[in-house]
Amino acid sequence: MKVLLSWIRDFVDVPGTAEEIGARMSLRGLALEGIERVGDDAVLDFDVTANRPDCLSIRGVAREIATAYGLALSDKAGGPGKAGGAGGSGQEALTVRIDEPELCARYVAAIADVTVGPSPDWMQTRLHACGVRPINNIVDITNYVLLELGQPMHAFDRSRLRGDAIVVRRARAAEKLTTLDGKARTLDAEMLVIADAERAAAIGGVMGGAESEVSSQTRQIVFESAWFKPQSVRATSKRLGLRSEASYRFERGADLAGCAAAMDRALELLSSIGAGHARGPVLDVHPAPYQPRQITLAAEAANRLLGMTVPAEDADRILRSLGFRVRQLGAWQATAPDASLSIGSEGAGWQVEVPGWRVDVVRPVDVIEEVGRHYGFEHLPATFPGVEHAPPPSDPRIARDARVRRALLGMGLSEAITFAFIDTAAAAPYLGEQAPVMLANPLSEKFTTLRPSLLAGLVDAVSHNRRHGRRDVRLFEIGTRFSPAGEVRAAACVWTGLASADHWSGHRRDVDFFDVKGAAEQLCALMKADAQFAASTRPYLVPGRAADVAVNGANVGIIGQLDPAVAAQREVPTTDAIYVLEFNLDALTAQAPSGVRFATPLARHPSVVRDVSILVDDTLSAESVREKIRAASVTTRDVPLVDVREFDRYQGKGIADGKASLSLRLTFQAPDRTLTDNEIHAAMNTIVTALTTDLGAIQR
Amino acid sequence: MSIDPSVGYDRALELFRAELAVVRTDAELQALRTRWVGRKGSWVAAFMDLVGRATPDEKRLIGRHANDLKRAVDAAITEQQDALAATRRPAGAVDITLPGRAPLLGGRHPLSLVREQVQEIFSRLGYQVLEGTEVEDDYHNFEALNMPADHPARDMQDTLYLERPLPGSPQPLTLLRTHTSAMQIRHMEQHQPPVRLVAMGPVYRRDNLDLTHTPMFHQCEGLVVGANITLADLKGTLTSMARALFGENQDLRFRPSFFPYTEPSAEVDIRCIRCQGSGCPICKRTGWLEILGSGMVHPAVFEYVGYDPDRVTGFAFGMGLERVAMLKWNIEDIRLLYENDLRFLEQFGQ
Repeated sequence: MKVLLSWIRDFVDVPGTAEEIGARMSLRGLALEGIERVGDDAVLDFDVTANRPDCLSIRGVAREIATAYGLALSDKAGGPGKAGGAGGSGQEALTVRIDEPELCARYVAAIADVTVGPSPDWMQTRLHACGVRPINNIVDITNYVLLELGQPMHAFDRSRLRGDAIVVRRARAAEKLTTLDGKARTLDAEMLVIADAERAAAIGGVMGGAESEVSSQTRQIVFESAWFKPQSVRATSKRLGLRSEASYRFERGADLAGCAAAMDRALELLSSIGAGHARGPVLDVHPAPYQPRQITLAAEAANRLLGMTVPAEDADRILRSLGFRVRQLGAWQATAPDASLSIGSEGAGWQVEVPGWRVDVVRPVDVIEEVGRHYGFEHLPATFPGVEHAPPPSDPRIARDARVRRALLGMGLSEAITFAFIDTAAAAPYLGEQAPVMLANPLSEKFTTLRPSLLAGLVDAVSHNRRHGRRDVRLFEIGTRFSPAGEVRAAACVWTGLASADHWSGHRRDVDFFDVKGAAEQLCALMKADAQFAASTRPYLVPGRAADVAVNGANVGIIGQLDPAVAAQREVPTTDAIYVLEFNLDALTAQAPSGVRFATPLARHPSVVRDVSILVDDTLSAESVREKIRAASVTTRDVPLVDVREFDRYQGKGIADGKASLSLRLTFQAPDRTLTDNEIHAAMNTIVTALTTDLGAIQR
Repeated sequence: MSIDPSVGYDRALELFRAELAVVRTDAELQALRTRWVGRKGSWVAAFMDLVGRATPDEKRLIGRHANDLKRAVDAAITEQQDALAATRRPAGAVDITLPGRAPLLGGRHPLSLVREQVQEIFSRLGYQVLEGTEVEDDYHNFEALNMPADHPARDMQDTLYLERPLPGSPQPLTLLRTHTSAMQIRHMEQHQPPVRLVAMGPVYRRDNLDLTHTPMFHQCEGLVVGANITLADLKGTLTSMARALFGENQDLRFRPSFFPYTEPSAEVDIRCIRCQGSGCPICKRTGWLEILGSGMVHPAVFEYVGYDPDRVTGFAFGMGLERVAMLKWNIEDIRLLYENDLRFLEQFGQ
């Protein structure tokens, strides 16, 4: 709300510069957005919150200033255009009928004979300063009153209204009206119109019609000053996509008690600037007169909510200055008659009558806020809430995600945060059979789909880093991904370029499948979960270099090389192999064992290690060899095999095509004794025989 | 230069120093010693010979010169010997000036660091930390927060809606939460007071990307409900948080404001961390920086969740973590937080 300082001073004689006033009011609820100089005057631009339509006016802002400075507010504007009077003589046949008193609780109308022309310079200057374009003296008066008192007004060309009745009714289905902005509108029965005897002439509280617009030929007008229901104005304005200064105020709530005063002011201005004079009495149709709200609150209530003591005389002064009527209640009165509205019920209190323009003040807390903010939040002490109980535990995902984060950071991946919405093309590869979760009103094509995978955003981050000269990119993200079934917490990694930090000593190696597999194994180990890997056929992964990860048979994630075609779509060169990992952390947690875990005591007897090298078909998986060894060792149960691991796999020179040399290290250990050479020898023989006979292996 | 004591003491010493200056090894030093102070054929020996042949008058002076030269050379050579020993590499020595082999260690996202810090502050104050879901229904995101469908305050938060709702309880989920307050409502529906929690996580608004706005950002919201919670308690709590985040000298300023779910409501400013309040471009010369919105929980919100507003009061606050990170590290463009440029991420360590 832009307010001209000199206009404010018509209402309150506030000292100081615009900057000082702005700074002071910022601490009282009117946040200063900026100051603009207009000659030796200044325009203060205040950010008026949605609950304070009364401050969308010069007088409303002046009232706040008067209260903040402890000054008196003059009820009527001084300054230019104050002479003259309301209502005229003579008779004029015009009636006002309100068919919808719920939607229009008051309609004040007056007829005036006018001479349309430009308004005086002082009025044009003020309108300009407050951001309103002057049009002609009649329209300018309506805007002037709107700015000064906050009451939207309208002027009809009397000669364009058919008949002698103004009817406030719902629009007929598909009723047409061309509004002042020149657009033809189709209305419906949810909308309120101001109609003449035949058709709609204005959309109530939103905008007037073009046909009855005041023009240079206009000789007689009807001024309107009315109250329209906020919800209805808002709905109509939204439905039509049509907002105006009037609708902005009506939808926040206008002053039901103030319609007539605004009309008086308009008529006063009309005659004082010589634009015309009223003809006939002012019509005030008022089916539901304003009943001021009475709010009762205990004297202690304010102090109890604020945590500071506001002296009673300060509270009293503040409320009266803001236009409330205050009645001190004795102790016996505070519980009656509407104690339900009070905070607490003991002790003496106040009964506060709310002025019509304060549509936001409904409950005792609203009154307390008025007292608190004008007394000054700067007087608040700094205290702490007492602890009444031990706090319940936090969301377990927080600690879990922190552990996963630490592990991934320790693997050399940096933490990324990407947007949860991505473009349709970026989401497509990860969807498979699943339907996308789309936004109904996305900001742009880049943000249409809720991500089905964290990888989409991470691949874009690879692309960004690649474009900025970075070849080695290691990133992870922990975040939410979405499917038609709901949302889950996931962790994902992308890894391209070198597998380890580049170093002068060494051998450089690019990341490969086994780096992401190692990461997956570590994440599962972190959760004490036993991971199984099976070849994956996900379309966004390279076949043969992709695995689904399962725990207890339930899928918990994927690892593998990203299909270069998917990367290429996001402008990553196809020469860059990107290895990826994505885990559903909620699924992993669900499969991970819970409960107490005890430490395993250390073995008291030494273990024995034996290596075996075999030649096998290169299509034979390491896992089947491992399983065969384990199965064979079952027959030599008294020589327990506690570990099997591959320590070398070789193909190439010296090894026949289609064959691979595989070396494994076997560890035997008995809990109760030291194993003998003979026992080990026998066990190894059993194992090697099984490998030879069942898998066609040749011992090397 | 050949040995010629006739050049005199000063010149001889000068020659010695020049030769010493180019010595690099122990062997060279040994050779230098022999040439200057050896028993035979050295400079000192030559001087001594000169003493034998000198007139009685000259004997004293030349003798003194011969002794001085020997002393000076011995001392310089011993000193140089120590210096050489000091630079000698022990067997198996490596060039310790070559770069080390660092294990890979990822960089932490600044938002994640801020989030953890805030979490820690409130855990210390005895709050439970909750996350909730990001897809919500209209009731929990708006209505129960005293923002019925026709409320103008809904314009303050432009909402992103789903094309098709997701299954939810009790209503299908239709929108991306515009604040984490939604989860506070869910918590209060399921738990009786007292309540003391902070809710954390991403929230979404239909804001275009610019220097200070992103359509997704991260929020931390606090909620305390109990028998005698006051606005002064809120001030104490937030002051404590601001000091932990921005330094022990921080001061807070409460400016009355409006939120549909709090009454009274206040925007909270911290003293500008750049100029300490004297006014600079960062704080637009006001000396203060807006950091969060807060207030006393509106009685209507309590009624929605079935709490008795005559028996309990509460405070609530909401803070954007992006804003905190940007102030803390002087990040001028919020988009840096979402580009995931490694040159940026690697600046924040662990």
